Amino acid sequence: MLKLEDYKAVFASVGLICVLLFASPTLGLVLRLPGGEKFSELWVLGPGHMAEDYPFNVGADVNYLVYVGVGNHMGCSAYYVVYVKFRSQTESLPNATAGTPSLLPPLFEFRLFVEDGKSWEAPLRFSFSNVSFSENRSFVGSLMINDVTFNVDKSASWDVENNGYYYQLFMELWIYNVEFQAFEFHNRFVGLWLNMTGV
Amino acid sequence: MKRLRGRFVKAPLLFLLVFMVFSLSLTRLPFYVSANDEASLAIGEADNALRQAFEAVLDAERAGANLSDLIVKLDEAGGLLAEAENAYRVGNFSEAISKADKCSMQADGVVGEALNLKGSALADAQKAVLQTLTFSWVGGAAFLAVLFLVWGWFKRVYAEKLMRMKPEVAVDAEA
Repeated sequence: MLKLEDYKAVFASVGLICVLLFASPTLGLVLRLPGGEKFSELWVLGPGHMAEDYPFNVGADVNYLVYVGVGNHMGCSAYYVVYVKFRSQTESLPNATAGTPSLLPPLFEFRLFVEDGKSWEAPLRFSFSNVSFSENRSFVGSLMINDVTFNVDKSASWDVENNGYYYQLFMELWIYNVEFQAFEFHNRFVGLWLNMTGV
Repeated sequence: MKRLRGRFVKAPLLFLLVFMVFSLSLTRLPFYVSANDEASLAIGEADNALRQAFEAVLDAERAGANLSDLIVKLDEAGGLLAEAENAYRVGNFSEAISKADKCSMQADGVVGEALNLKGSALADAQKAVLQTLTFSWVGGAAFLAVLFLVWGWFKRVYAEKLMRMKPEVAVDAEA
C-alpha cells in the first residue's frame, strides 16, 4: 500500500496538470509562439499554367503568353508591386547577393494585395514590333505588354556562343514596408531569355 | 523692282509664320506640362490613398477581422493604380487621371469598411477574451475546490483503512 505522502504527490500532479489545462486558453492569449520563416514567392509559368513551353525563339508581331504569380507567406496580408523590365544582354540585372534591383526603369507593373498563405496569378501577354536586323545586330523598337505599347529601342549583337540575339524580359517583386511607408525590393526576380529570330 | 517687292512681302509673311509656330508651341507646351502634372498628382493621391487603405486593412487584420472581401476590393484598386501608372508611362495622361481617380475612390471606401470591421473585430475579441478568462478562472477554481474535497475524503478513507488494519507478525520459519 502506498503511503499518504505518495498519494499527496499524485493528487498535486493531477491538480497541476488540470489547472494548466484550464489555463491554456488564457495562456494562448498571452504567449505567442514563434512563427515559421517569412517569405514570398514569385514565379512565371508557361501558357498552359505549367513550368514548360516558355517562349524562347520570338519574332515580330506574334503574341506570347506567360503567367506571373506571387505567393505570400509573410504572416500577414502584403502589398506587392511586380515590375516588368526588358533588357539586352549588356544591361543591368537585379543583384541577388546585394539585394538590389536592376537599374532599368520599369515598363509595366502589377499592383496586388495577397492574404497570408494565398497566392495571386495574372496573364502577361507580350509581342514585339518594329524589329529589324542589320550587321550582326538586331533592334527592337516596341514591346506591347497586356495591350500597352512601350517604345523600348533596344539592340542586341549576335551572341556567338549561344547563336542568337538575346534579350531578357524579367519581373522584379517589390513589397510595401509599413514601418518605412515605402516600397522596397524584395530580392525576388524571374526572367525569360528571348532569342529574336525574325522580323 | 519686282524682286525687291517680293522680298518685302515674303519677309513679313515668314516672320508671321515663325511667330505663329513659336506661339503655338508656347501654348501647347504648358498644356502638355499641365496634363502631365495633373496625371502625376492624381497618381500620387491614389498611391497615398491605397497605402492608407492597406494600413487600415492591416490594422483590422491584426485586430482579428476577416478581410477576404476587403482584400479583393483593395486588389481591384491596386489594379486601377497599376493601369494608371502604365498609362502615364506611355503618355496617356487622360487615362492615367481617370484610373487614378477611380482608384482613390475605391481606396477611400476600403478605409471606411476596414475601420468598421476593426471596430467589430475588437469588440468580438474583447468578448472572446472575457469568455476565455471566465472559463480559465472559474473552471480552474471549481476544479481545485473539487480536488480539495476529494483529497479530504480520500485522507479520511485512508486513515480509516489504516486504523482497521491489524498488525501482522512475520514468523521466520527457518529461525
